Amino acid sequence: MTKAFLIDLSHCNGCYNCQIVCKDEHCEADWRPYAAPQPLTGQFWMRVDEKTRGQVPWVRVAYRPTLCAHCADAPCIAAAAAAGKPEAVYRREDGLVIFDPASDGDEELAKALVESCPLGAVFFNDELKLAQKCTGCAHLLDNGWSVPRCVDACAHDAIQFREEEEFGALLSKAEVLSEVAGFGPKVYYLHLPKRFVAGTAVDFAADEVVIGATVELVSTGAGGAGGAAGAGGAAGALIATQETDELGDFKFDQVPADEYTLIIKAEGYSPLKVAADLREIDLSVGDVGLTKD
Amino acid sequence: MKIKDKTVVQNLGFCAFGGASNFAHVDVLDGRIARIRPLHYDDHYTPEDLNAWEFNVRGSTFKPGFKSLIPPLSLAYKRRAYSPNRVPYPLKRVDWDPNGERNTQNRGISGYERISWDEAAAIIAAELVRIHDTYGNRAILVQGEGHGETKIISGPHGCQSRLLDLIGPETDEYTVQARQPDSWEGWYWGAKHVWGSESHGQQNPQTNVVWDIAKNSDALLFWGADPETTPMGWGGFQPSRICFWLTEIGVRQIHIAPDVNYTNAVHADRWIPVLPNTDAAFQLAIAYVWMTEDLYDKDYVATHVEGFDWFEYYVLGHEDGVPKTPEWAAEKCGIPSYRIKAFARYWGTHLVSISHCNGGGYIRSCYSHEPARLEAYLLGMQGLGKPGVSQLKWIEWGIQGIYPVPTSEINPIFYASYKGWMMHPGKYFIPKTMTPQAILGIDNDESISWYGHVICSMNKEDQFLGFEYPGDGPRLHMIWSDTPCWETCWNGGTIYQDAVRHPSIEFYVVQHQWMENDTLMADIILPICTIFELQDIAADPYNGQWIMVAYEEQAIEPVGEAKGDFAAVCEVARALEKYGGIYEGLYEKYTRGLTFDDDVRIAYEHAEIPLDEYPLEKFIDQKYLLFPTPENWEDLTVGFNDFYRDPEANPLKTPTGKLEFYSTNLAHYFPDDKIRGPVAHWIEEGDGHQERISSDRAQDYPYLLVSNHPRWRVHAQHDDIQWLREIKTCKVRGADGYQYEPIWIHPDDAALHGLEDGDVAELFNERGRVLGGIIVTERIMPGVLYQDHGARTDILEFGVGGLDRGGANNLICPTKTSSKNAAGEVTNGFLVGIRKADLKELAARYPEAWNRDYDPHAGLVARARIVDNTRKEA
Repeated sequence: MTKAFLIDLSHCNGCYNCQIVCKDEHCEADWRPYAAPQPLTGQFWMRVDEKTRGQVPWVRVAYRPTLCAHCADAPCIAAAAAAGKPEAVYRREDGLVIFDPASDGDEELAKALVESCPLGAVFFNDELKLAQKCTGCAHLLDNGWSVPRCVDACAHDAIQFREEEEFGALLSKAEVLSEVAGFGPKVYYLHLPKRFVAGTAVDFAADEVVIGATVELVSTGAGGAGGAAGAGGAAGALIATQETDELGDFKFDQVPADEYTLIIKAEGYSPLKVAADLREIDLSVGDVGLTKD
Repeated sequence: MKIKDKTVVQNLGFCAFGGASNFAHVDVLDGRIARIRPLHYDDHYTPEDLNAWEFNVRGSTFKPGFKSLIPPLSLAYKRRAYSPNRVPYPLKRVDWDPNGERNTQNRGISGYERISWDEAAAIIAAELVRIHDTYGNRAILVQGEGHGETKIISGPHGCQSRLLDLIGPETDEYTVQARQPDSWEGWYWGAKHVWGSESHGQQNPQTNVVWDIAKNSDALLFWGADPETTPMGWGGFQPSRICFWLTEIGVRQIHIAPDVNYTNAVHADRWIPVLPNTDAAFQLAIAYVWMTEDLYDKDYVATHVEGFDWFEYYVLGHEDGVPKTPEWAAEKCGIPSYRIKAFARYWGTHLVSISHCNGGGYIRSCYSHEPARLEAYLLGMQGLGKPGVSQLKWIEWGIQGIYPVPTSEINPIFYASYKGWMMHPGKYFIPKTMTPQAILGIDNDESISWYGHVICSMNKEDQFLGFEYPGDGPRLHMIWSDTPCWETCWNGGTIYQDAVRHPSIEFYVVQHQWMENDTLMADIILPICTIFELQDIAADPYNGQWIMVAYEEQAIEPVGEAKGDFAAVCEVARALEKYGGIYEGLYEKYTRGLTFDDDVRIAYEHAEIPLDEYPLEKFIDQKYLLFPTPENWEDLTVGFNDFYRDPEANPLKTPTGKLEFYSTNLAHYFPDDKIRGPVAHWIEEGDGHQERISSDRAQDYPYLLVSNHPRWRVHAQHDDIQWLREIKTCKVRGADGYQYEPIWIHPDDAALHGLEDGDVAELFNERGRVLGGIIVTERIMPGVLYQDHGARTDILEFGVGGLDRGGANNLICPTKTSSKNAAGEVTNGFLVGIRKADLKELAARYPEAWNRDYDPHAGLVARARIVDNTRKEA
């Protein structure tokens, strides 16, 4: 039986409750043998990563709760073994990976454990010379709680914690973070952000938006050959089509990071091509001017 | 393993005034707060027990939920109890000598010495007697009307007013700082006169409006509204849940604001950036499109609206020769004319509602009554009260008939044992917006005058009563405050500093939990308990899930020498008794000989709770009670729907019973008012305000500042919580290690000023300067800066023209009121300049402040201000 987390980012409102209650539970609180006290600040066993996407006026903020993935094949377990201290990190029967706080004082080990985590989910406690991280609130689970604090505090049930098989079909739509994909992570995500591109079709001469224009999103990037990161079609492949709405707007959301061209066509207007390089960023192309034929 | 010793229920809401919220379980271990967590109502209840409501709309179901939806402000709140900025014991300003030099000019500068409770109470008592005998108690200003922890018995704000009631010739023989409609200014001073909604002025009634919008609206506008943020302090995350649900069922969410607030950031389908406080221009242009393209409900207007022709005459340009076209508006509001037209047409052909929280840019800016009225006009032109056409309020559900989600027939309040100031029109008062002018008028023997009691619970007719200060009474000579955040929450804190440092204010006593903001200018400071250290009761009408009450046991022992607000005033009552006469037996009179248990019983039995079904013993035993949804909630009329269907039979509370586009009251009472005239207008400048980018002042101060209700505070509360301060939108750590209040600047503007992430910059105008830490972001439109209001002051130079390191931008807000006949605050959408700060130069100029003890994670600390902490025996 293995526990897993499933985090649905489409229901994360960015409130940081999960990050806060993790601190409420562990900062200056001694839960040994599960965990030594976490320093009052500076460690984030549950860390909300925040990124502003897009440009005025198409802007969103992506929030992502990030924690130890309790990997089945955890690099931290390997690191402890490599350091000759295999007892310092262990996996419980429920799958939670625990750092034994009794390994304090071993700075070399602690730093090796910090470095072993591709997610940056392990922290160095300078006072105790100890590596620390999420315990899944195992001390609570062993004392009557059914879920960790972060799960309990989420107003939207965006973070769930259950037996892995109980998630059933939900996991088939879920993804894991690429940094730990090879280690059998037990933290799954729904709706991880991809890219968006948005804008508005405008006839500046007429001082009117253009409603009902056809907007084609065409892959033009190297990724367009269909690689894992690409848009899934050959360069030049039509990825999606929309019509501008009553505000003249179009928005292609959750498209792969890639290079694209937007082709905007409306009756009576010359077709317009706009480059949209989404490899690194989400993009507002702004108010795009169409001219009459 | 022991994970707790005990668990208590407490309300961790921050409204005060007896309106509790954010109920939590507080676990205690070894005498300290171990954890704060949501309540799980299924410990005691099933949906059937509570006749749980459900919205079944467009194939989806929304339910109230069975755990409390508490925000980070509550979950992190134990850090406030253990803050290094707690007032540890009673303090006296070292160079304030009640029998000698009072050195009022050193308020904020001089340090403090430890004194005993007995000495503090004796000093306060002696000063009260002296003031009484010298001037009369009207010379005492009671500041007891601010937000804070929500308490009933143990000490809400305003306990001092109850004591003063007992030592005047009659009650109310002192001066009250009025409890303004501070987050509803435009609604209160403007929209009320259109639709008669009392008393805050947003649409009232709100009954079943969420359900209606879900069923019928195509779009919901968020006009400066941030339901992810503003309701956190008293309500929690039910609005957030509703926003997710509206997305799921396809109600389009359009945000209109200069900034990408925290709701826009996760829920918006469309953002329309608008320059701060130019919404009136946008609104007028929308009306222009509707009028010229026949896109409004003419039949409705004919039967439901008074004075539409006056409005039409103005909009079409017949009054001033200026048609309020989209092109006219675009220049003012920054929205391109083609977008204004498209948006107006969309709105004119769809069912659209508008939502607000408290605050939001335009409602706290100059002339806020104008856009507020215009919003009511626009809703009226589209058939206000029609299914799908309402104004939704996201906060303060459960008071004054505001029930946008189902409530209960049992909705208790515990005012029978309320120990604080009752929100009533006192005999003697000054508007909070005019406190500095009231005090400083002494120099030139100037009086001030205004209209209305300026209390948020008053009806609109109150706004036609004229008042003045000091009239035939004495001037103010003493301030007794439990609300020490004027500087960082009101309209022009630098002038407030000048006022309270004036020699005429002979005594300034503050009772508060933390050494913050105005507290640092007090002569005597009394240490007050946080709610964790007290026992009390709470009634929560706000959370949008269940009406509930709680029996709050004490979680921890008082920190330091703190006492509850009520107990603190009791100490003063005891000390006054030795003076005899009117002071004889004062303690007994003040406490009425009641124990805590007596107070609980009295409050509970007078709260209109059916005692046979909910006996007091059950309340005390179970610690909290939930009350069921009414059987008939689905039959209750939605919002203004009765008025929509039959305006003659269901008139509004306006003089004509109709939507008054032409306010007959304003025309009658203020016939010469050109700023708040009978019909809402675009006001460029006037009544002391020059806050437009077209103003001459904009040459020097070219940016409009958005200063919202803060994300990580409730006004001035919570600014010392380490776990909030390490969130990157909460504080920006400067190169000097200090955590600065963020300033958002668009990349284009940042490039103009050479500003980068993490830089420290100065916002400035002629009223003063405040520092902030730069965040370069696309979350703010070009030409506009953003800094939340309410940061803790850290004053480097006091008074007008001064400098604050903390980033409390209220210090440099306009000091004039909304307009001359509307005494509202103007604290958003005002002009500032920005420039990079030179930290080395500042450090050299202000070595004392730079070298002051400072907690790198919690910020300012009490010990930095205490120069003598020795305990002296009496």
